[in-house]
Amino acid sequence: MEKISQFFESLASDGEFFTGVLGYTKYILPALAIWLLVRCVCSMLAEKYEPEIWGYLKPPRGQFIPIRHWECVIGRSPSSDVVLDFPTISRSHAVLVRNGRGTWRLYDIDSRGGAAVNGEPVPEHGSVVNTGDTIVLADIPLRFEGLSDEQLEMQSSRRHRPGGTISPAFSLFILTMFQFFLAMQFLFSADAEDIASIMLAFCALTVTQWLYYFITRALRRTGIEVETIAFFLCTLGTAVCASSTPDEMLKQMVLTLSGIILFFILGWWLRDLTRVKLMRFPMALCALGALAVTLVFGQDEYGAKNWLSIGGFSIQPSEFVKIAYIYVGASTLDRLYRNRNLIFYIGFSAVCVGALALMGDFGTALIFFVTFLVISFMRSGNIATVVLAVSSAALAGFMMLNIKPHIAQRFASWGHIWEDPFGAGYQQTRALSAAASGGLFGVGAGEGWLHDVFAADTDMVFAMLCEELGLLIAVLAVLAIVVLALFTVKNAADGRSSFYVIAACASVSMMLTQLALNVFGSVDILPFTGVTFPFVSMGGSSLISCWALLAFIKASDTRQNASFVVKASSLFSAEDFEDEEDGEEE
Amino acid sequence: MKKIKNRAFAALLLSIFVVAGLGVYVALFLTDGSDWATFTANQTIYQNGVLKTGTVYDRNGVILAGYADGQRIYAQDPIVRAACLHAVGDMSGNIGTGVMTQFADELVGYNPVTGLTDSDGGELHITIDSALNAAAYNALGTRKGAVIICDYTTGEIICMTSSPSYDPLNVPDLTGEFYDGVYLNRCISSTFTPGSVFKIITLSAAIENIPDLYERSFWCPGSVEVAGVAINCSGIHGTQTIEQAFANSCNCAFAELSLELGADTLEEYASDFGLLEQLEFDGISTAAGRFDKDVDGSPGLAWSGIGQFNDLVSPYAMMRLAAAIANGGEAVEPHILIGSDGGSARLMSSATAGEMRDFMSYNVVNNYGEWNFPGLSLCAKSGTAEVGDGTSHAWFVGFLDDPEHPYAFTVMVEHGGGGLSVAGNIANIVLQEAVKG
Repeated sequence: MEKISQFFESLASDGEFFTGVLGYTKYILPALAIWLLVRCVCSMLAEKYEPEIWGYLKPPRGQFIPIRHWECVIGRSPSSDVVLDFPTISRSHAVLVRNGRGTWRLYDIDSRGGAAVNGEPVPEHGSVVNTGDTIVLADIPLRFEGLSDEQLEMQSSRRHRPGGTISPAFSLFILTMFQFFLAMQFLFSADAEDIASIMLAFCALTVTQWLYYFITRALRRTGIEVETIAFFLCTLGTAVCASSTPDEMLKQMVLTLSGIILFFILGWWLRDLTRVKLMRFPMALCALGALAVTLVFGQDEYGAKNWLSIGGFSIQPSEFVKIAYIYVGASTLDRLYRNRNLIFYIGFSAVCVGALALMGDFGTALIFFVTFLVISFMRSGNIATVVLAVSSAALAGFMMLNIKPHIAQRFASWGHIWEDPFGAGYQQTRALSAAASGGLFGVGAGEGWLHDVFAADTDMVFAMLCEELGLLIAVLAVLAIVVLALFTVKNAADGRSSFYVIAACASVSMMLTQLALNVFGSVDILPFTGVTFPFVSMGGSSLISCWALLAFIKASDTRQNASFVVKASSLFSAEDFEDEEDGEEE
Repeated sequence: MKKIKNRAFAALLLSIFVVAGLGVYVALFLTDGSDWATFTANQTIYQNGVLKTGTVYDRNGVILAGYADGQRIYAQDPIVRAACLHAVGDMSGNIGTGVMTQFADELVGYNPVTGLTDSDGGELHITIDSALNAAAYNALGTRKGAVIICDYTTGEIICMTSSPSYDPLNVPDLTGEFYDGVYLNRCISSTFTPGSVFKIITLSAAIENIPDLYERSFWCPGSVEVAGVAINCSGIHGTQTIEQAFANSCNCAFAELSLELGADTLEEYASDFGLLEQLEFDGISTAAGRFDKDVDGSPGLAWSGIGQFNDLVSPYAMMRLAAAIANGGEAVEPHILIGSDGGSARLMSSATAGEMRDFMSYNVVNNYGEWNFPGLSLCAKSGTAEVGDGTSHAWFVGFLDDPEHPYAFTVMVEHGGGGLSVAGNIANIVLQEAVKG
């Protein structure tokens, strides 16, 4: 450690050479970041990927109709997955569902004409459908053809894989260059005693991302754009940490690693939908338990009683409840049709949001609420429910403003921060002032002053990015999350199960809400609520939960050999499912 | 699944919201960034509220304020420092109209691309002649007052000094009556009772509204009664032409004109001449004047046309009016930054301006005495404004009808006494210095 320290100090003292480099790195950093993001966007959004096909339905006259999802609605409505435009067919007639073991079942969803498989009427719990079976919906017979192993194999080999034209390794290399130049800047700005730990933290991050790359290579996965974006944001988070709390670099690295490990575990868990469904209820209980414990034993910090102190570590249980909340909220299509009831979920949400409100964690309550809206809309498609929820929440929010004076004050100073720059507008005026100082390219990593202001590295981290790294990189950080969201929306068309699609959309909605509240709150476009910028803000619980949310996003990525969370379709024919490759755990 | 896919637009809506918000932020960043950056809590450029970057130069390249080796620096001459304090601004930003506060974004070298990263800061070149300012400050001496001079062909403000002032490098104890209102730039941020200099407005209105003005004769017995109240004059002027009445500054004659013109007309002219509104030069706001309309035939109306009653004007606005008269009715908007252009505004017809110039020239030739203003081609009007406590503000407003030295000016001394004897004398000292330079 001593020697490393001396080495970096000797580097830093060779000022002439490095001052020259520093002048350029300011411009190199945004250029690299733009390049990186553009590559990710091209690979994720611009390239065309073929959807998966799991089987076919053959109507009496006409073409084979491909089955593209594990959950398909068959009906007359144009929004059905298999459209049968016959007068006897109901708008949504039946649901064809494939379970994790590769067995197909047909459910009749209260159709007028009824459904039968091989002449047997479909009972309440559905009928198993095998290749060659004939499904009769009302008076329309359909032959079901599943894909054989060879066909699945062939499909796998024919589908376009990510990483072919845009190499993920090269993207990571660009990110590595970004990390290198960013670390260089700290050689000048950081205190001598911190330089070694900052350099080691950046090295550790670089090593981690390459290790991640090689693990995914070993798993024959080539679509790691989502993770590349997360590593990019974590790099910015590391820079923020190095600037504001350089003595916590080790902690930051440990937290990042913990997040990645949780990402692996959750991702692996999500691969098997049967397993996933089993755990929904226990997850709900865990979430409620965690909130209850926090309410009872939680510590009050800056007006919100949302911290638990366990063995010297402070954690924010609400961050972990986020994961459970999405896990519980997402649901499979068959359930959505057979059990349209949202009561359980609404009740669960009300308890979660209520508990957060009681803790005084207004920002997180708002994030949960928006996520609730997204999930309940995706599940029911019912605008009326959403409107009802919004109006009741508005009422609750209004009451909360009356009860919690510090929240009411934040609303009062919203848009008026310059009228009271030494009182209510203290933080935001400084955030804006520092942000403007940086211009497009920033004053240099570690060279700013905003990090001395309270909560700069959490609530006002966007302004800190603007100040030290410049508007360009700060904007790119926001756009990076937007890109994740667009990718998820795009994936929604090809998702295997509605569980994955809903969970992924809920995850990005949660991130976007958090992002909007953080960024726009700190610059006075929205009221200041004090939530974290995903991956970038300091705070261990938040960082770990963001990585976990990423697992949901990965679960919706059905491109061939893209995501370790998604099993290759050709693997499903294997007899024993517990035997599949699972070297994911480090 | 297709239904679920269609509902995924919820996440898309949030994305659009985030991108739109980001657009708003970037737009604000580009438009308001300079205000944000120059907030005094910004430690990049301020140390304990004192700007630590940028240099202000006068028109001759003299450094008026700057920052070097971790220290704020001002002009070398202590008189120049005090004379230019209000134009430049003090250390703590108490003088809000100083260029250091007003143009902090240029001083700190801010632009949205580089932010504040050009650490050397910017340069600000102002139109003030610091030596002339020092002369004006010396001429004011210990009296409270204001001297402001502009070039009426270009609008450049070459002299702007306000007293009391102090040396910002040796700040005295600013409490006490002597330093009352020390942070106010009396040239632009204060308004005073104008007294007889307001007769410039009344006369301009009379020229355009009373057809037989020049044929009339005005009778002054030393005092006239309006609705039972005596309007006293400074002397007994007897029978006068309008030229004589203006040169004598005859209250009897101007009470008659005011009553005849009426409150609406007088207010309209005061307003058209820019005396009542907040004016701006280079974005620096000036104090708005005041004119209260009293009812027809009232003594209040008579007094309001004589520059008493509730009338208030700023020295800046009077200078701008004099500049307009000098420039054929068109006021080239004054400015303090070299190279800036505020455009121009027509305050009166060139015919009226020409007649007013002749009137003001007649004043100097036949009343004030050219020998008091040797070589100046002066056109002016004095004012001795009674302020109700037995003292008077001394005013002297005018211009040099000289293409070589096209200067319009206001000199105002608070509670100074006689307009001609006090303010006129200061005007002569400063203008002699100006034409010499």
